[in-house]
Amino acid sequence: MRFTDLLLLSINNLKRRKLRTFLTVLGVIIGTASIVVMLSLGIGQSEANKEMIESYGSLTTISVYSNSMYGSQDSSTDPLYLTDEVIESFKGIEHVTGAGPLLRYGAIAKQGVYETYLSLQGVTRQYMENIPLAEGHYPKETDTELSIIYGNQVIRDFTNSKTGEGFWSNGEEVDVDLMGRSVFIIFDTDAYYSQGSTDADGNVIAAPKKYIVPTAGIVDGGESGYGNYSYGAYCDIDLLKEKLRSIYKKKPIPGQPTNSKGKPLSYFVYDSAEVYVDDMDNVAEVQEAISSMGFQASSNMEWLEQSQDSMRMQQAVLGGIGAVSLFVAAIGIANTMMMSIYERTKEIGVMKVLGCDMDNIRDMFLMESGFIGLTGGICGIVLSLAISKIINTLYMQSEAAMYSAGMGDISRIPMWLVILALCFAVLVGMLAGLFPALRAMRLSPLSAIRNE
Amino acid sequence: MSGDKTVKKHKKPIIEVRDLYKIYRLGDTRVHALDGVSFDIYKGEFVAIVGASGSGKSTLLNMLAGLEPPTKGEISIAGKRIDRLSESELVAFRRSNVGFIFQSYNLLNTMDAEENVAMPLMFRGVPREERLKKARKLLELVGVLSQARHMPNQMSGGQQQRVGIARALVSDPRIIFADEPTGNLDSKSGMEVLSLMQRLVREEKQTLVMVTHDNTIAGYADKRIRISDGKIIDVEYGEFAKELEGRDA
Repeated sequence: MRFTDLLLLSINNLKRRKLRTFLTVLGVIIGTASIVVMLSLGIGQSEANKEMIESYGSLTTISVYSNSMYGSQDSSTDPLYLTDEVIESFKGIEHVTGAGPLLRYGAIAKQGVYETYLSLQGVTRQYMENIPLAEGHYPKETDTELSIIYGNQVIRDFTNSKTGEGFWSNGEEVDVDLMGRSVFIIFDTDAYYSQGSTDADGNVIAAPKKYIVPTAGIVDGGESGYGNYSYGAYCDIDLLKEKLRSIYKKKPIPGQPTNSKGKPLSYFVYDSAEVYVDDMDNVAEVQEAISSMGFQASSNMEWLEQSQDSMRMQQAVLGGIGAVSLFVAAIGIANTMMMSIYERTKEIGVMKVLGCDMDNIRDMFLMESGFIGLTGGICGIVLSLAISKIINTLYMQSEAAMYSAGMGDISRIPMWLVILALCFAVLVGMLAGLFPALRAMRLSPLSAIRNE
Repeated sequence: MSGDKTVKKHKKPIIEVRDLYKIYRLGDTRVHALDGVSFDIYKGEFVAIVGASGSGKSTLLNMLAGLEPPTKGEISIAGKRIDRLSESELVAFRRSNVGFIFQSYNLLNTMDAEENVAMPLMFRGVPREERLKKARKLLELVGVLSQARHMPNQMSGGQQQRVGIARALVSDPRIIFADEPTGNLDSKSGMEVLSLMQRLVREEKQTLVMVTHDNTIAGYADKRIRISDGKIIDVEYGEFAKELEGRDA
């Protein structure tokens, strides 16, 4: 028998009993929609979570710290410092696309009467170019003078040096313009805080030198937005090192370790380093490798995986609730098909007497139930897209959205879910129809002869 | 007997039945629906199997048409043993060799007359246009072409049975089986249907095996196999057939 004939026969049979077919399809619509909507909530939550974590920094970046940096090292062994050499060795690890050091240096920024402690971070170009800018531009590679990218929240940290008041104490925005007016940076903070007093040798400590450092840009996020880069100040690491060397000359640079004789080391030791991995899936592996070298490594991926694990559980529960209604719909399909077979016993018998293949009879019934699944699946997906839209609209208008600004839709239906749901609906329909179809196939042709 | 003229002894029979038994178990008792039946049917014959209700005639027809298997014995149709075929082999066998006329016509109510007639060809995978063309040709042959697009419930019993006959013929079967084909018809349309079947056997060189309990109806057949309690009690040649033979001669 031709496939098109079989298909037409099946569809005609469904059309014969419009109301019953409609009611059965309705069951599948509700079942499919409940699964899709439930899963869409789970997916929405997990994607929003992922986006949130991503906003704190790339998922393929590993931060590496040295235990030796903050005391507590075992004096019998050489301290394990993060040096250029070590960072170079990270690049040899498989799946690593790049690695760069981070040099943190505490400085003071001043503009007029306002001043603030600044956590200045010397970073590589690769790192810098991941920072989203609202204003300005990245320092050029050819620059020989230090310039700084300020986090969008830094401006609120400025306080009036005379009154001690600032945004965080009185809520008023301070009169600081990082882009428009010059900012003075004081590198020697020890000298700044102790100026005017006398040192151990009885000399009066002079005020340290102030440097005008141009502002390269401001991190994106506006006045109140906060992200990974909102509170820091970033500059080129090589220029920062050069600057510090020129300021301190032979003296030890604050924050840098010294050797056993108290002399500064001939190289820089970094607080941390960033290691870039080619793919999210390889982050764990690389992290493992770095840890085994004796460093502390952490990544957002680790965090993401932990939270995704717990969300997967939630999604399974949500999907399970939806699946119950589709299961009920499947029973409905099986019931409808059984009824149909009882009604059509004679017809099936006639078809068998006239030479219709048993396989064709089975396929005809499977197609009918599969078609119920398909129709219900399509309508169910349309319904769930509508419900999802309504949920998102209502959510956006609700108060909950205010506290999680920028979280986006809480119900998301990706394309793969649509396709999966459709296939699932057809599969459920056919599975529900399988037993009735086999039963129809085995009906005796003699039923055609009997006269009631 | 003059019947020797109609039975061509030199030809191989199209249906050969040897020692056919069908035994049903009803609780502890065994019912012999067929109790050792043997006969031959030749091509171009119009045969009636006649018997009272419960005589085993319907059981015999079902087994000849491959609808149920015998307990014991042989059935050969066109030299092929059908008593050993599996169910799906029997379906394939019926599809290419057998036409069937039912007592209650058994047209599908969702299809019009021509689609009903074309149905056996659909099972063979014949394209729609081709099979509908053939169906219309047969509807013309049985005289209901004007009803081609009518649904079964828009037709009289006599018309429906003619459509049923056309359906039995559409696949050019070797043998046509008819199970009480006039059982649901009034006597006038019953006679018309019987004449039609008779004509088709003669003009289209078809072989027709009909089951009936009615002697008058059986009279239309060339040959009557009388059956009682699962045994053949008599084989005779119909008066009507003799008349026709005589007239033709």
